[in-house]
Amino acid sequence: MADNWGFVLAAYGLAAVVLLSYWRFLARRERTKTPRARPPRARPGVSDPPAPAVSEPLAPTSGHPRSKPASRPPLQ
Amino acid sequence: MIRIVGGLALAALAAGLVMAFGVAPRETTQGNVQRIMYLHVPSVWVAYLAFAVVLVASITYLVRRLEAADRLAHASAEVGVLFTGLTIATGSIWGKPTWGTWWTWDARLTSVSILFVMYLGYLLLRGMVEDRERGARYAAVLGIVAAFNIPLVHFSVYWWRTLHQPPSLMKPGPGTMPGVIVAALLVNFAAFSLLYVYFVAKRACLLRREAEAA
Repeated sequence: MADNWGFVLAAYGLAAVVLLSYWRFLARRERTKTPRARPPRARPGVSDPPAPAVSEPLAPTSGHPRSKPASRPPLQ
Repeated sequence: MIRIVGGLALAALAAGLVMAFGVAPRETTQGNVQRIMYLHVPSVWVAYLAFAVVLVASITYLVRRLEAADRLAHASAEVGVLFTGLTIATGSIWGKPTWGTWWTWDARLTSVSILFVMYLGYLLLRGMVEDRERGARYAAVLGIVAAFNIPLVHFSVYWWRTLHQPPSLMKPGPGTMPGVIVAALLVNFAAFSLLYVYFVAKRACLLRREAEAA
């Protein structure tokens, strides 16, 4: 009987493609489901400006700067 | 741990290829095309194993309502469907040069196709039911019912007159194959089993993460 190497290669090639595709599917899905690690913060160097001191928690704002009540002109 | 199993599976698959192409002799009747057996038979073994795990995990889920058992059943069914598909495809490729046809409605081929479609339905059912707990319950029932097809597939070659040959290895009584062919087959059994464990562990881990994120 002829050896039919083409059929052997087709069977093994197909198996390789199927198994690799499933492995890639799992790996890709794992990447999308894993929360990304935050990039490490650079160490503050000599030339870096000092970080502003946080004195009190900030109240939620609309995003627009507001003047302090004492500096506002009285309503006419 | 999963990575170690993956590495072991990769090494075992490489060893399996060496055994199949380098160590196992050319079969006298079929020629080199018989080497497809080292891929086809371990694939169906993994499919049997996967669906047996689905059966046990489904019963466990119904009895004890363990989420982990449900995830194991889901992962194992998915990997089982993958390997059943591979079994059908490689069998078809092997059938063309040896039987002269890609496909025939013989008892083994038909019963394997039914098994494949049933577990494909199992996976579709999981995706269709929106309530997760209800979907898991329905899937567990289907996982138990579908498992009755496994002995039907295995013994179909004894119960009906088929074109497909009877089992060469998974049968009672003394073996008829030369030792070196059995050894090559066993190495590939081990490699495919490790690959199954790796895939199922990875998939179950992903399912847990998805459940936690939901």
